[in-house]
Amino acid sequence: MGVLVIFRRILVIDDLVLPCVGAKFPWPMIFWFIAIAVTIIACAALLYAAGSRTVNAAEPELADGNRHFGLMLAGIDVDLAAGKLSEPDAMAAKGELAREVMRFKAEAEQATPVRHELGRLPLLAGLGGIAALAFAVYAGLGSPDLPAQPLADRPQTVAQSLVLGDAFTRIEAALANNPDDLRGWTVIAPAYVQMGRFADAVTAYRRIIALSDETVDLQTKLAEALILQAQGASSPEAMTLLRSAAASDPQHVLSRLYIAAELTRQADYPTAIAAWNDVLALSRGDEPWLPAAQEGLVVAQNNGVAPTQDQAAPFSNQESEMIGQMVSGLATRLADQGGTIEEWTQLVRAYLVFGDTEKAQSAFDTAVTAYPQAFDRSDLDRLALDAGLTIKGNSL
Amino acid sequence: MAARDGSTMSIEFGHFALVLAFAIATMATIGGYLFWRSGARIALVLSQAAVLQFILVAVAFLALIQAFVTSDFSLLLVINNSHSLKPLMFKISGVWGNHEGSMVLWIFILVAFGAMVAAFGRRLPNDLLTLVLATQSLLTAAFASFTIFTSNPFLRVFPAPLQGNDLNPVLQDVGLAIHPPLLYAGYIGFSICFSFAIAALISGHIDQAWARWVRPWAMLSWIFLTLGITMGSYWAYYELGWGGWWFWDPVENASFMPWLTGTALLHSALVMEKRNALKIWTVFLSIITFSLSLLGTFLVRSGILTSVHTFVSDPSRGLVILTLLALIIGGAFFLFALRAASLRQGGLFAPVSREGALILNNLFLATAVGAVLVGTLYPLLLDALTGITISVGAPFFNLTFGALMAPLLLVLPFGPLLAWKRADVVAAAQRLIGAAALAVFFTILISALRGVSISLAPLGLLLGFWVAFGAFAELVERSGLGRLPLQQSWRRLVGLPRSAFTTALAHFGIGLTVLGIVSTGAWQTELVTTLNPGESVELSGFTIAFDSYEQVPGPNYTADEGRFTVTAPDGGTRNTLADRRIYVANGMSTTEAAIESYGFSQIYLQLGEPLEDTHVVRIWHKPYITLIWIGALLMALAGIISLIDRGVHIGAPRRAARLNPELAE
Repeated sequence: MGVLVIFRRILVIDDLVLPCVGAKFPWPMIFWFIAIAVTIIACAALLYAAGSRTVNAAEPELADGNRHFGLMLAGIDVDLAAGKLSEPDAMAAKGELAREVMRFKAEAEQATPVRHELGRLPLLAGLGGIAALAFAVYAGLGSPDLPAQPLADRPQTVAQSLVLGDAFTRIEAALANNPDDLRGWTVIAPAYVQMGRFADAVTAYRRIIALSDETVDLQTKLAEALILQAQGASSPEAMTLLRSAAASDPQHVLSRLYIAAELTRQADYPTAIAAWNDVLALSRGDEPWLPAAQEGLVVAQNNGVAPTQDQAAPFSNQESEMIGQMVSGLATRLADQGGTIEEWTQLVRAYLVFGDTEKAQSAFDTAVTAYPQAFDRSDLDRLALDAGLTIKGNSL
Repeated sequence: MAARDGSTMSIEFGHFALVLAFAIATMATIGGYLFWRSGARIALVLSQAAVLQFILVAVAFLALIQAFVTSDFSLLLVINNSHSLKPLMFKISGVWGNHEGSMVLWIFILVAFGAMVAAFGRRLPNDLLTLVLATQSLLTAAFASFTIFTSNPFLRVFPAPLQGNDLNPVLQDVGLAIHPPLLYAGYIGFSICFSFAIAALISGHIDQAWARWVRPWAMLSWIFLTLGITMGSYWAYYELGWGGWWFWDPVENASFMPWLTGTALLHSALVMEKRNALKIWTVFLSIITFSLSLLGTFLVRSGILTSVHTFVSDPSRGLVILTLLALIIGGAFFLFALRAASLRQGGLFAPVSREGALILNNLFLATAVGAVLVGTLYPLLLDALTGITISVGAPFFNLTFGALMAPLLLVLPFGPLLAWKRADVVAAAQRLIGAAALAVFFTILISALRGVSISLAPLGLLLGFWVAFGAFAELVERSGLGRLPLQQSWRRLVGLPRSAFTTALAHFGIGLTVLGIVSTGAWQTELVTTLNPGESVELSGFTIAFDSYEQVPGPNYTADEGRFTVTAPDGGTRNTLADRRIYVANGMSTTEAAIESYGFSQIYLQLGEPLEDTHVVRIWHKPYITLIWIGALLMALAGIISLIDRGVHIGAPRRAARLNPELAE
């Protein structure tokens, strides 16, 4: 209870004092005012204790001893009356006690004499020392300009993203409890893809397919998640899903794009050319994926070598744009608010996938500053060093 | 900026409060040692300083608690040890579930004890009070500076991240809320005895009144330490999932050593208070007990030990802590070597006497501490000096510690029956014949019923029963039970001083603990098997059926829950739950064992990792295991009663048959 009362009291100081004085003075100044006030109060309390009142003086140190011996004597009489001691035993005990009392008094007389009372000068020097030491140490170590940031009081955007995080965790927990909740899986699956948790995304899409009808879109999404999980490499399962999607809906573009890209990757150029032509046949001429598909066709016709560009884009334009937005959003958020080491790792990986080594290096540097312990960033370090980035700064 | 809602400044204010407390402690140390002869004024200033230190450290501690409760991730400590989804209780206990925060708790308890001395010590002689408080301030200054300069809990992070890394899941348990504060209160309480000993050595002035002052502090600390160790043992038992209750882990040993010397200190202070003897023993034990407490708390943090208890290990920090320990402990023993001879010798006694028996007790306990200390430190030193890694495990400790405890337990029942100054062993032995007969009878009975698998078990049982029954011999003897009419002996029993009962209770507690240890060790059964829901197994007459298995989300973890039905040999059934938890934030897992008590025995069931299509289940039957903790709790209870009842009772010297008692001590 006592703990609770004091605990509230700090809040009271904050709630009442700060709004009053806060209007006139900047934040660190208020802090210093209060720190000085507290120091003065503490020193005043010590000074008051050293005041010339006579508190303990009338209490000679024999008093406690006398009481002690008195109690012991009474104890012997009680024991005697109760028959626990025989008469001679009691006499012997009293004799022993008397000798003890005499020894005690002789000792007390030669006990440490008071040399000289504590003077005013050393007292004031001590108080000055307290103030000097406290402020010197605090000035060296403290962050007086940094107010507390309780999570609930963080700015709006922050609170929202937290609520999002909260909601995410709640959905996950609810799904663990009730794995048949189709809506939950539908909400969480694209979020998993966005967060880079591809294995979870695969699980989620599988659940959705198991709980609902297997549509061509769902098949393609699952295949996409599988390909992303395999870091761009296709799997037989993904191909089967894509082919099945393409077969059941002759107008389905995305699955055909993936098939064509995969065939190109597998260097099966004749089939790839046919696949690209199939896709292009579905075009009305203004689709955002059109340039990517045309380029794919050229690459396949050219036996895997892109003639116009150094690198064949692994993503369609629309996708690149989307991914680019996601990455830059992540980068801004991490720069503004910091983030977990996983998020930093994701960012560095994204830059590396885009082939932007410079940005990857600079993101990696910031991450190293944010997480100076090598232990914290084992995955990130492995990724970065594999990609030829270097560790700078105060890495341990 | 300052007008921001709510508690915008508590963290920095807490930081400043801690620094100010450090400054006050530093000045109080210097002033106290320079001016201890200056009478009442300096004593009053130091008392006030002790109270101020307490208030300021309390503010710092509460500021940390507030930062954890409000998930203030601008504090590095909160990032590293908390998570916004963690239940409130674990947010609070998370404050001391790490190195920096636990240092603040440590200092908080230290200054709390200092303030208690200041509050209750008004009747102490001024010079003694000043020196005691100066020494307390020295300890506060030393550990506050260690905290502030090498392990500052108030380090800030800007910008603050949105989520923390959560607390080690093993520590997310009610045990963390109770075990460390209790243990720390025990460790740090002994600092008062230490400070009293240092004060006595500096002033050269020590008497029975001194012992009257030290004993309640020693008792209080000993109670806390006993409860802390018991709690830690039970926590490890149910949380770590191995069903073991004592692992001879270096940190367990570190808490056990001050307990052993603290026990010796209690007995020595008793002798000193009653008989003005064993002064040097008392001073020595006061110093060594607190030194071992320091070793216990800080060996863990020096980075030279690794165990469940290890927080961060940082070599530079370790060097600071070792230097600090060397200075404090070394300084105290240097002072002891310099000044102990000048302390006046106390009452004389013959070797065979209650005093002599207590010296024997001290010797055995001190030797046991030596054995544990060697077993704990030798591997570390060997590793540090030669690079050879050896492991000193339970067999070493069980053998050496057991071998030292056996004779001590054997002579324990004699102690309370011996008279002060000069005693008669034969007469005491005669009074113990009843207890011996009962012990032999029960040992034979149980060994016959249980079947003996380990040859040492009956010997252990014999010792346990001997101590347990022997504990009551003094009560029986002094009440005249069996010799006098029942009514009269009842009256005498009721009229006995409370200390006779607390002695009996404490010693009975040891007996129970020994019985628990021996029976668990000798007759425990274990079964590791794979089970699917619907299947069942048998162990020691119990049938355990695996009813169902499901995955359940918790607040910050997901759990695999197994429900089991345990059918006792007598037919009664109970439903029980064992789970494995995976914590969301860091993917770590813990096991929560299902424990069912049957009388003093327990069925302990642990759900292991799920396999392809089945589950590993470990089941133990642990006969009479709860006696281990019940015995320890009885010891603590005896301490509490004795602390409440501080009535004085006089031990009359038995009339000497010969004069010239030999000089002892």
